[in-house]
Amino acid sequence: MEAKIIDSRGAACPGPITDLAKAYRNSKVGDILELWATDKGVRADTQAWATKTGNEILEVKEDPDKIVVRIKINKR
Amino acid sequence: MSKLSIILFSGTTDKALAAGVLAQAAAAMGSEVTIFVTFWGLMNFTKAEKKMVLPKEFEQMGPAMMQGMAKEHVKSWYEMMLEAKEFGAKIYACSMSAGVFGLKKEDLDPIIDDMVGAATYLQQSEDGQALFI
Repeated sequence: MEAKIIDSRGAACPGPITDLAKAYRNSKVGDILELWATDKGVRADTQAWATKTGNEILEVKEDPDKIVVRIKINKR
Repeated sequence: MSKLSIILFSGTTDKALAAGVLAQAAAAMGSEVTIFVTFWGLMNFTKAEKKMVLPKEFEQMGPAMMQGMAKEHVKSWYEMMLEAKEFGAKIYACSMSAGVFGLKKEDLDPIIDDMVGAATYLQQSEDGQALFI
């Protein structure tokens, strides 16, 4: 399934999690969101967000220029 | 639904920033967020131009802090509170403190939703997380 890309590169905390929350508002169950960020807190914060909202982190990958987090929407 | 209630008592920019970060993050996490602005906190919420105010012991670090914030693309506390409001956060001014400083609703920044008393804070914060900043 095609992931929806959320590009938060350059944004400081809590920017990336806010961008994710905004994309989440327009998502539906089964969607895959892919967050791109450079803020180092994003690995822990997306996990906290997913736990809180009942969604699932599929993968966290560190590219040289960004952290990529893939999130599956299980709950709306 | 989980709740975060922040009492913003301090009037310095650093503390307002801390309140802004947590309000925006909690709102993005889906929490019901309420900020109660009281006492010195109100000085940042008048219609006057926003000025940077730092605690005396860190005053000389102001320029470095501003540079660091620009470099890291950290938004202002005001922008963060607007973001939180976009998710439904409410910002209230303490009616008693406003009275002490002679501030009326129309003297306050429009980011303030209403003037309320202590009972409103206690009722709204019940069974949630509370922070005093």
